Amino acid sequence: MADPVLEGRGLTKRFGGLVAVNGVDIAVERGEILGLIGPNGAGKSTLFRLIAGVMKPSAGSVAFNGRAITGRSAHDICVAGVAVTHQIVRPFREMSVLDNVMVGAFFGHRPRPRGRARARAAAMEALTVCELADRAGAPARSLTLAGHKRLEIARALATRPEVLLLDEVLAGLNPTETDRTLELVRAIRERGTTIVMVEHNLRAVRGVCSRIAVLVEGRKVVEGDPDAVLTDQRVVDAYLGTAHA
Amino acid sequence: MASRTAAAAIVLAALVAAPFLAARSEYAIEVLFLIFLYGAMATAWNLLGGFAGQVSFGHAAFLGIGAYATTILISNGVSLWIAVPVSALLPGLFSLLIGVPAFRLRGPYFSIATIGIGEATRLIALNWTSLTGGASGLTLAGAPPMLQQYFAALALLVAAVGVAAWIRVSRFGYALAAVRQDPDAAETLGVATTVVKSQALFLSACILGVAGSIYALHYLFISPDSVFGFSTAVSFVIMPIIGGLGTVTGPLIGAVVYTFIREQLAATLANADLLAFGVLLIAIVVFEPRGILGIADRIRALRKRPAVTVADG
Repeated sequence: MADPVLEGRGLTKRFGGLVAVNGVDIAVERGEILGLIGPNGAGKSTLFRLIAGVMKPSAGSVAFNGRAITGRSAHDICVAGVAVTHQIVRPFREMSVLDNVMVGAFFGHRPRPRGRARARAAAMEALTVCELADRAGAPARSLTLAGHKRLEIARALATRPEVLLLDEVLAGLNPTETDRTLELVRAIRERGTTIVMVEHNLRAVRGVCSRIAVLVEGRKVVEGDPDAVLTDQRVVDAYLGTAHA
Repeated sequence: MASRTAAAAIVLAALVAAPFLAARSEYAIEVLFLIFLYGAMATAWNLLGGFAGQVSFGHAAFLGIGAYATTILISNGVSLWIAVPVSALLPGLFSLLIGVPAFRLRGPYFSIATIGIGEATRLIALNWTSLTGGASGLTLAGAPPMLQQYFAALALLVAAVGVAAWIRVSRFGYALAAVRQDPDAAETLGVATTVVKSQALFLSACILGVAGSIYALHYLFISPDSVFGFSTAVSFVIMPIIGGLGTVTGPLIGAVVYTFIREQLAATLANADLLAFGVLLIAIVVFEPRGILGIADRIRALRKRPAVTVADG
């Protein structure tokens, strides 16, 4: 890859004796939608946290636009242009939907918007993209699960990221909601944002991703074209177990 | 919003006129003065404890540093115009120092650490006898006229409430609310949570430092147990909880209730005020954690609803 927007090298995270992420190299191409799949406990979310600065890696490095961001704080990395959503949604419960997104608009980007009106406009734009504009005044806690997932995306989007890390935004959604959210993911990519998505729904991932990387037990097993990856024997074994083990 | 501003202006005008209208009642002036002073303290504590949700039991440290700084400076012939700003800045600087380790802790752990910080400053004041006079405390020779004290306390209160009202609608307020509700989510949305908490603590400490100044000039006697005392620190927590945590007017309402209970009960029966605060706190936490403002909200909601549903509301 000539010019990766985001690149992790040898990323490792140890929790005591457990190695959750084990020497993972990952490169994200500008403008792509990269799918990150793997069985439960494969280290996908942990890998996201290492990239987003929520956790410090035990070893390895992360570069964004060619510059090292390893070990920088989560708020720094967000402002630099890498936003992450939370697998288990974390709305500011006492705030309205709009205010939730305004936090991202106020703080997630430099230069910061001057005044409430601009932050509000930026937040409304993100809500419109996420089809939540009609819920702007509602308390965040009143949203459905699908609404909460969209709010996670809208907040992250309001920080105007170059790279958006989506952590299982489809989990728990019904087929209709899943299709709508996939449309949203495509629309965000069309607006010029690079996307990496952790996902369990293989059918969805195959439909939307330009490339797929597979993590198993903390290691990257295979990476490449979706159809090739999903029929790879190692991936089938990881998901279904080996018949001749 | 406009009606609220008008109401605030009317109240303020009445308070400015009060000492001239009620000039004969020294007691009324004294009570109003105490309400202003405690209101400013409660409002200052609420900036960090209410808005940012970082409940501190160590805020007496800032009051104490301000009170001691003023007393020591003025005893050494320093002008009031220098003593008061120094009494604001010293606690501010101290707050930046303790914020670094304290804000590494969260929730109850932070609160427990602040108890330690408060006690540490009390013990330093107790044992640094050459500077603080130790357990016997320090005295000042003469107080400024009561009218000046009254307006100084009122000005501090207006400044504190002004800061709180500004925070409520500002970008900074969004950051504090985000920190209170989910610090991890706030971080991933670009909020530098430690910086933001330190800023709130700094503002809080400066206001309490000036409150300490006014306290020292009013009572003319300070000791480690009065200004650095744990019960003083707890009173900063009690007032906003009584009125309404994390609101602009809540701490003020709490200060009114607190001052009245203390003035009425402390005079009649020793420590009866503490019993009353204990009962009040339990009642509020159990029945309406949003305090008096929360109760007012409920009453308003009941009035709006049709009469039929009032019974089961």
